Amino acid sequence: MMNSILMNTMAGPAWDGLFAGVFALLLAAILVYAIAIPQGGKGWWLLTILSGGLVIASFMVGQGQARSLMLDAAALLAVALVWLEGSKDARSAAQTYLVMLVLAIICMEAGTILGGEGGTAPAAPMDKVAVALLIAGFGLKLALAPAYFWLPRVAGAAKPMTSALIVSIIDIGAFVELAQLRTEMTWVFDDHRGLWIGIALLTMFVGAILALAQTNIKKMLAYSTMDDMGYLLLGLAAGSAIGISGAIAGAISHAFFKVVLFGAVGAAEYKSGKELTFGCKGMSASYPVTGAAFILGAIGMIGVPPFFGFIGRWRLYLAGIETGGIWLALAMIAATALALLYYVRAIHKVWLGAPVEATKAGESKLAAAVLIVLVVLMLAAGLCPGWLTGMIG
Amino acid sequence: LNQQGFLPAGSIFQEAFVDITIVLPLGILGLGIVLQLVFSRVLKAKGKGWLAFITGLAAFGAVLSLLPTITRGDPLSQTFLPWDQNIPLAVYVDGLSLVFGLMATGIGSAILLYCVQYMEHEPEDVTRFYVLMLTFISGLVGLVFLANLLLVYLCWEVIGLCSYFLVGYWYKQNAAAEGARKVLVMTHIPGYGLLVAILLLYHQSGSFLWTDPAVSAAFSTGIFILILVAAMAKSVMFPLHTWIPEAMNAPTPVSALLHSACYVKAGVYLIARMYSLAKWPQAWNTTVLVIGCVTILIGAIFALVQTDLKRLLAFSTISQLGYIITGLGLGTDLGLAAGLFYCFSHGLFKGTLFLCAGAVQHSTGTRDMRNLGGLAKKMPKTAAIWLIAASAIIGVPLTNGFVAKWLLLDAALDAKQGLVVIVAWLVSVFTAFYILKATVSTFYGEMPANLKSKEIHDAEPSMVVGMSFLAGLCVLFGLAPQLLMNGVIAPAVKGLGFNWAVTTSWLGLQTTSAGVGVTLGAGMVVAALLLGGLVLALTRGSRPEPGQVGLFSGGDPLPDASTVTAVDFAASAEEAFTPVYNWTNPDRLYLVIWRGIKELAGKADQVMEPVCNSYPLVASIVLVAVIFAAVWLF
Repeated sequence: MMNSILMNTMAGPAWDGLFAGVFALLLAAILVYAIAIPQGGKGWWLLTILSGGLVIASFMVGQGQARSLMLDAAALLAVALVWLEGSKDARSAAQTYLVMLVLAIICMEAGTILGGEGGTAPAAPMDKVAVALLIAGFGLKLALAPAYFWLPRVAGAAKPMTSALIVSIIDIGAFVELAQLRTEMTWVFDDHRGLWIGIALLTMFVGAILALAQTNIKKMLAYSTMDDMGYLLLGLAAGSAIGISGAIAGAISHAFFKVVLFGAVGAAEYKSGKELTFGCKGMSASYPVTGAAFILGAIGMIGVPPFFGFIGRWRLYLAGIETGGIWLALAMIAATALALLYYVRAIHKVWLGAPVEATKAGESKLAAAVLIVLVVLMLAAGLCPGWLTGMIG
Repeated sequence: LNQQGFLPAGSIFQEAFVDITIVLPLGILGLGIVLQLVFSRVLKAKGKGWLAFITGLAAFGAVLSLLPTITRGDPLSQTFLPWDQNIPLAVYVDGLSLVFGLMATGIGSAILLYCVQYMEHEPEDVTRFYVLMLTFISGLVGLVFLANLLLVYLCWEVIGLCSYFLVGYWYKQNAAAEGARKVLVMTHIPGYGLLVAILLLYHQSGSFLWTDPAVSAAFSTGIFILILVAAMAKSVMFPLHTWIPEAMNAPTPVSALLHSACYVKAGVYLIARMYSLAKWPQAWNTTVLVIGCVTILIGAIFALVQTDLKRLLAFSTISQLGYIITGLGLGTDLGLAAGLFYCFSHGLFKGTLFLCAGAVQHSTGTRDMRNLGGLAKKMPKTAAIWLIAASAIIGVPLTNGFVAKWLLLDAALDAKQGLVVIVAWLVSVFTAFYILKATVSTFYGEMPANLKSKEIHDAEPSMVVGMSFLAGLCVLFGLAPQLLMNGVIAPAVKGLGFNWAVTTSWLGLQTTSAGVGVTLGAGMVVAALLLGGLVLALTRGSRPEPGQVGLFSGGDPLPDASTVTAVDFAASAEEAFTPVYNWTNPDRLYLVIWRGIKELAGKADQVMEPVCNSYPLVASIVLVAVIFAAVWLF
């Protein structure tokens, strides 16, 4: 009886232009932020511009092998960025990231080749091999459960804007590639929908539960990325126009807010000269705008209206209802409730309340301005979503 | 214009008129928010306060301008440009919308007037305060004016966020921050019930407009329960009520707005609106009645033992909301009229009580009743206003609270709900106890030594005017309730699909329903009160001196040290109700759930952390093999 609010799904050129624009905006935000809060030397600037630029370019050249290669190259440059941090933890994290990335690229490329061109599945058992390789490849690259091991280590060791680049631009680029695959090789999802939904739910809950266990805020953000990726994957697994549209809208919101969240943590860490953990209470007293950006970013991240995240989330919940009835929707809500708990815990353990110690006053106005602009853009898009959802389809 | 002085329905002029006016309240509030931001560096705190008040007042005027059309029984509706793809931005204003729209903007404006001087010397950024207050009011107006359920949910959460940020306004204080956290967690999570209900309705009907008959056709018991859960959390129904006493560390105008007009009333609206969506089976009414009655009792029992003035008022809100929900749960025209009249009245007297409590705290620096007393002499205006509102909440005749309670008891008698009558009556007695305790502890008796050394002054003029406006309406609607009943409540009840057979007289004495006997009883109560007044007047000369308690002890008055204080009262009540407090505090259950989740998370991390750090490659290869196996199996 349901009348879809969507005419059809607009993959292809519409998404390409949209994401090229989104990534260009986010890369600019990362670079401006890095002027205010130094992230590294010339090497960092060069690799960041190259890596981000490759992702943007990959969406300008259109779909095909060239895009895949450019996205893979961008991810490999990100490994170098993590390595550049120089610390033992960072190099160890970069090694893990590299190994898993190479494994992911091999699996994805092999899966794509075996899956063949067009919308029909190859003969058995090649179809199953292709699907397994694609799941493994994208699972490793996007840090889906249970193959997420590189992400918390990278987020814990890298500079905040390096993490933001990886999570918001490189990973989301790979996710859009998966979404394109969803619209072209539908059999990869349709023939194994239960498995994809299972992985999505597992990613959501494992991410949320592990995020709740963290006391280091950057690691918490890494696990929250996993949690969010589970939702986006569920939209693709559902496969309906509303699900895919929700996943794409959610991916945009995720990209924006993760820059905000990592940026807020980085700004407070840089100014206070210490790593943010749950022992640092009351940071907003010294960094009110940065703290506000984090709080709004966290709220936007879990899809609370009026931010744009809500526009993605309600579509995803609806896709959940369409696919698995009320029980799947309630499972998604339960994961969101967990997300609320860990974000609220971070907000109140780190930002709000009486400060435990006097910290160096004064926050970077430029960095804070970048974060607030991103939040305001997501607020505007949430209040008047039509122009953006029109491009998503 | 037609003979009644209105534009003819359906005329091109009326269409143009409606186009502007239906969104004018939201437009004005939006403009006010923008102006606050634009002039944040130009205006001082007082200027920002006046700007916010003028904005609220203009929005109130705009809502009021819709009254003639709505009173005629013509709902207003308008569809604007698509909001999200082909989902329309649809507005629909009927009698029910207007009840809540008037409360939000009218009571909100009085509170904003109070803020002008209350917030004048606030060291925190007051632009943030006024922007949030205006957004809060806009959120409620949007909630009740919009027909698109997704936008209804958006407004629902905007209200939630505003309350979170306003309760945590003094975010550098642990108590304020912790209170805000509880508000967010305990109201946001149940709020997903509303979202899931909306999506299920859309899934079944293909429409997001609650005015669409297809949505009504898709309404089911499951959807009713989901919406009820969301409403219960917002409207502090047992067992989702425990956030509200913790929200008391906000600036008092926030508490006033939260309790009187904008927050707890959102859930009431949602429950009432469900009458527009479906014909309620008896089981739904019974469910709401049970929840309402339990909430009436629990709120009052907890209020009895409070020694913090604002916490006492917070628990009283829980109890009073129980009355309102019970009225709605009766499911008759009289019940709905009682519920909505009570809702409006509660907004007026509870808003006043909170503002008075704020004036006391503003002046004395405390709201702990153990450290208060004798303030009537130093704060006569505040004390007088408090007395009016206290009389109203207790249900003293000549106030709107009397009319509200009267209507409710009458409606319950009419619906043959004897248990409801007993609970409502019993808790009325409790209400009188705790409100009298608060009144005496704060305004009468001997002033404690700690206050004697302070320079205590009465509320500032803008605060007095704001409070007086609300208290004046308590009396006005107590003397002439028909003004509110016929002008505002009747269209709301009729709009929900009920016949209107309620007649209201001066003073609100019902004579046309099952309450005739009760009416006679009330006459006796009034006579007894008059007699009591006469006795008091005749014995004026023998009243005890200040500092002594008017207790008859069998002989001489008790010495000062033996007087009964708020603490003594609280202690005896606490002792008497100990098992009730233990068994009816749901926080214990929530704590168990939270600890369970935390333990699970800790154990999961203990298992996964070493794998993540030491064996990521081996684990990944194993997992790839598992994925292959899973693809073959599923």
